[in-house]
Amino acid sequence: MVEQQMVLLKIRNVTRVFGALIALRDVSFEVNSSEILGLIGPNGAGKSTLFNVISGFHRPDKGKIFFKDTEITGLRVDRIAAMGIGRIFQEPTLFMQETVFENVFSGFHRHYREPAWKAFLHTPAANREEAAGRKKAEEILDFMDLGAMRDELAANLPHGHQRSLAIAIALACGPELLLLDEPVTGMNPSETGVMIEKIRQIREQGITVLIVEHDMRAVMSLCDRIVVLNLGEKLVEGPPDKIKNDPGVIEAYLGKQVI
Amino acid sequence: MVKLPNSPAIITANRYKWIAIAIILIALAALPLCIENNYIKHLLIMACIGAILGMTFSMLYSAGLITLGAAAFYAVGAYSSTILVMNAGLSFWAAIPLTLIIAAVLALGFGAVFVRNAGVAFVIITLIFVQVVVLAVAQVEFLGGWGGIIGIPRPDPIGNVNFATKTEFYYLVLAMLLLTIVVFNALYSSRIGRAWRAIKLSPNLAGTLGINPYRYRLLAFVAGSTAAALAGCFYAHYAQSITPGAFGGWLSIYVQLYAVLGGLEFYILGPAIGALVMTFVPEYLRMVKEWEPIITGILLLAVILFFPGGILGTIKGRQALSMAGLRSLFKSLKSRTKRNKNG
Repeated sequence: MVEQQMVLLKIRNVTRVFGALIALRDVSFEVNSSEILGLIGPNGAGKSTLFNVISGFHRPDKGKIFFKDTEITGLRVDRIAAMGIGRIFQEPTLFMQETVFENVFSGFHRHYREPAWKAFLHTPAANREEAAGRKKAEEILDFMDLGAMRDELAANLPHGHQRSLAIAIALACGPELLLLDEPVTGMNPSETGVMIEKIRQIREQGITVLIVEHDMRAVMSLCDRIVVLNLGEKLVEGPPDKIKNDPGVIEAYLGKQVI
Repeated sequence: MVKLPNSPAIITANRYKWIAIAIILIALAALPLCIENNYIKHLLIMACIGAILGMTFSMLYSAGLITLGAAAFYAVGAYSSTILVMNAGLSFWAAIPLTLIIAAVLALGFGAVFVRNAGVAFVIITLIFVQVVVLAVAQVEFLGGWGGIIGIPRPDPIGNVNFATKTEFYYLVLAMLLLTIVVFNALYSSRIGRAWRAIKLSPNLAGTLGINPYRYRLLAFVAGSTAAALAGCFYAHYAQSITPGAFGGWLSIYVQLYAVLGGLEFYILGPAIGALVMTFVPEYLRMVKEWEPIITGILLLAVILFFPGGILGTIKGRQALSMAGLRSLFKSLKSRTKRNKNG
C-alpha cells in the first residue's frame, strides 16, 4: 500500500547521555504512517528514554527527529503535542482528583479555535465549541468502555481502567502518532486481550502507534514491525517472525523464556 | 446550540455553590441595615477587601503556584492609585483602570521571570518579593518613606453618594467583591480554568495535551496580581493613609491563611469565608489582649492540622455523609411505601 510507505516519524542517529550512562547511542529508525511499531528490549535498554526524547521531555545530545518531514528535535513538550504526537506514560499519570469525564475533556485543549477571551466571556461560539468537545469526550469514553465510570474520580479507578483512561485522554488530543508506554503491563490476560483489540481499532482510525511493551505475546500479535533496543543501541528491526528467531535478540534477553 | 447534560454530581455541586453565594450576598447586602456599630462595618469592609486578596492567592493556587507574596501587588495598587489621585490629580474612577494596567504590566514583567519555576523556588521568590517591594517603597521619599502617605481622599462622589460613611463604602467594596467573583468564576469555568487545573494536577500530562504550563501560569499570575492591585486601590482610599509596614507585616501572612482556613479547594468561597472569620475572630479575642495573636495562631494551627480541608472542605465532607444518609433513608421509605401499595 502506498499509504503504508509514507514515513511519519524519522529518528536519526539519536544519542542521549545521562552523566556517565549512555542511555541511547546512535539510534535510527522510522515509523511508517498507519503502522503499529513495537519497541522492545530488556530493562535499561533505553525505550522510555527514547519516548521522552520523542515527546520533548528530554533533548537529545546528538541526532535529529522529524515528524511529517518537520524537525521537532528539542521543541517544547506542548509544541510537539500540538503537532499531533500523543503519549501515555509508563507510571499512572492522570488528573487524579478530577472525574473520568473531566480528564478526557481536558484533552481537548488544543482543538479550541475560538480565542481565549471569547472563552472567558462564554460567547455562544465558544460555548458551542465546548459542547462539541463534551460530546466528543463522551464518545471517546464509550469507545474505551469507560462510560459507566464517567463521574468517578480517576484516582479511584482500578489499574486496568486507569490505563484505558490514559489512552482516552491522549485520544481526545487527536494525535496522528500515539506513543504507548507499557499499555498492558500488569493486566490479566482477558484485560490484555481487550486492550490489544482497542489498540487495533485505534490504528484503524488512522492513528499510527509506537508501543513499548514487556508482554511479548501482546507485542508479537499486535505489531507490524518491531525494533529491538539493547543497552541503548538498536539491535535489530523487522517483522515479528524475524525478531522471534533472531539469535541476537534471544541472547540480549539472556535466555529468559520470553519469546 | 448543542446542550449536553452535565453529570448529576456537577449539577448538584454547581447548584449548591450558587445557592450558597446568593444567600451570602443577600445577607451581606442587608447587613448594614441591621448594624449600627461603625466598628463592625469597618470590619466588614476589611473582610471584603481581604476576600478579594485571598481570592488572588487561590487563583495562583488553582494553577499550581503557591505564592507568599499576594500582598506585593496589593501594595502596588494602593500606592499607584494614591499617587495618581494625589499627585497626578486624577479622579479615583480614572485612577482605577490606570492602576490595573500598571499592575498588569508589572506582573507580566516580574511574572515572566518568577513563574519559570513552579515549585519551592516560586514560593521563596514571592516571599522575598513582597519584602523587597515594601523595603523599596520605604526608601522612596516621593512615596513618603516609612511614614507613608496620609490624607488620601475618599473616592470622588457619584451623584449624592460621597463615600464618606462606612455604609456607603461598604456597598462600594461589596460591589467590587461581586465583580471579582463574577470575573474569577468566568475564568475558572472556561477552558482557561481547566488548563490551570490540568497544570496544577499534572504539568507533565498537561504538556502532552498541548498546554503550555509557563504561559498559563503567567496568565494566572498576571490576573491574580491585577485583582490584588484592585483590592489595594480600595484599601488606600478607604483607610486614607498607607504605610509600607502595613503591607509587609502580618497582612502578607494572613492573606494566604484566608484561603487555607476557608478551604483551599474552594477558589472563590474559601477565601471569602476565611477572610470573614480571620477578620472577626481576632477582634473578639481582644479581651485577652496581648494573648490574641498567640491564640489566633494556635486556632489556625489546629484548623490546619485537624481540618486540612478548611472550613468548607470539612462542611462538604460532613454534608456528603449526611446527604448519603438522607438518600438511603428516602429510598428505604419509598420501597416500603411501594411494598405497602402492592400488599
